[in-house]
Order: sequence, then structure tokens, then C-alpha cells
Amino acid sequence: MIRFAGSKAMLLKRVVALEGERVEFRHGKLFVDEKEIDEPYVRYPCVWELPPRQVEKGCVYVVGDNRDMPIENHLFGQASMKRMVGVPLW
Amino acid sequence: MVGFKKIIIIAVIVAVGVWAVAYFLPSEEKKIKKQFRLLAEWVSKDPGENTLTTVYKIKHIGTLFDTTCEFKVPVYSFSGNYTPDEISGYAAQGRLASSRLYLKFFDLAITFPEEGSAKVTLTARLTGKLNVGDSIDETHEVESILKKVEKKWLFSKVEVIEVLKK
Repeated sequence: MIRFAGSKAMLLKRVVALEGERVEFRHGKLFVDEKEIDEPYVRYPCVWELPPRQVEKGCVYVVGDNRDMPIENHLFGQASMKRMVGVPLW
Repeated sequence: MVGFKKIIIIAVIVAVGVWAVAYFLPSEEKKIKKQFRLLAEWVSKDPGENTLTTVYKIKHIGTLFDTTCEFKVPVYSFSGNYTPDEISGYAAQGRLASSRLYLKFFDLAITFPEEGSAKVTLTARLTGKLNVGDSIDETHEVESILKKVEKKWLFSKVEVIEVLKK
């Protein structure tokens, strides 16, 4: 759970990479440090392409599970650890 | 006796200080909040807004800004220093492209880092509909600096915080 704005606007995203790791998307598949990540929770086809980038210090890389929309319409990316406020209880 | 007088004087100074903070600080905060309320009101547009209202709002938006205002909006790769006229122009373009537009500000946290300067952190929500039919629904955390110029608080910096960096 990430604090997106103020004290009320929150985002629920999945942490896919930690600081120092390199993250990228190839033909919709997530790669962390060149290794393809098995993501059974991604239900719909994804065609995202994202060049590799390293997660900065004090940050994590977060992505949502619904990836059937164009990459530019999806809110994801590197977020400061300071903005993480909790986890879901299920 | 001299010691007692000193204590009384110090107590009076402290009381005046506390009263001054209580009296003037909320007053400045109210003035700043009013600037945000006016900005939201003048940027917003109801469907079928009449021309007189449009002209009035566009004309007044610029009056809320300092001679130059720095904008940093990384989510739209938009940054730079703009004059009140330029800002009014951009606002006019945005309003013209929309059939309805509503700007609201929430959770304003105001601090005064130095004399004549206020830093405001807030949540901004922009909703509406473009003429081409697309809906607008954006929420962002914003940091803003306002400078006090001739007793008026004017926007001198507006930065949309990039929470998620792709």
C-alpha cells in the first residue's frame, strides 16, 4: 500500500523489485536482474515493453496485477520506501 | 521587587507572543487557503459556461501568480518558469479543450519556512471531460511555494510530486 497523495489517496501495488535490482518488461514478461519472474497472479495478456532500469537506493519497484491496458495508462514504477504505509490483510 | 517586575514583563511578552501567533498565523493560513479556493474556482468549468464567466475566470487566474512561477510537472514532462499571462493562456487552452472541468484541493498542510514565504503540501484532484469525449480523473500530491507580495500571497512554485517513477 503506497501513499499516493495526502493522507487519503492510496495505491495497492505489488512490489516486484528491491533497491539495486534491475527491472524490465520484455513482450509483457517481467524480468528482474535478467531473470524472468513467474507471475501467476497476472490474469490477462500483457504486451508491455520497458527498457531495463535500476531501482534507486531507498526505493522499491511496484506494479499492479491488471496489465491488460497500455503501459502508459498504468500507474507503476519506482516508489520511495517512505511512502509505503502497509500491506493488505488477505 | 525588581525580580518580580522582570517576571511580570517576561510574562506579558510571552502572552503577547502567544496571542500574536494565535492571531496572525491562522489569518495568514486563511489568506493562503483562499488563494487555493480561488484557483480551483477559476480553473473549474461547468458545462455550458457563458462567455462572460469564461473571460472573468481566465482574466483572474493570472492574478494569483507571482511575476514568474516555476512549474515542475514530471508526469507530463512539463517544467519551466511562466508569467501570469502565460499561465492564464495555458489555463484558457485547457478549459477550451474541456466540456467540463473541476479542480479541487484537499489536505492542505501549510508551513512558513521563512518570512513572506509559505510552503503548502496538498492533494489536487482534477476531474472532467474533454471535448473529444475522454474523461479526466487525476489525483496528485502537489508542493507549492507562495510568496507574500504587497500583502497578497502569490504562487511562485508549483510542483507535482512524482510518486511512481517509471
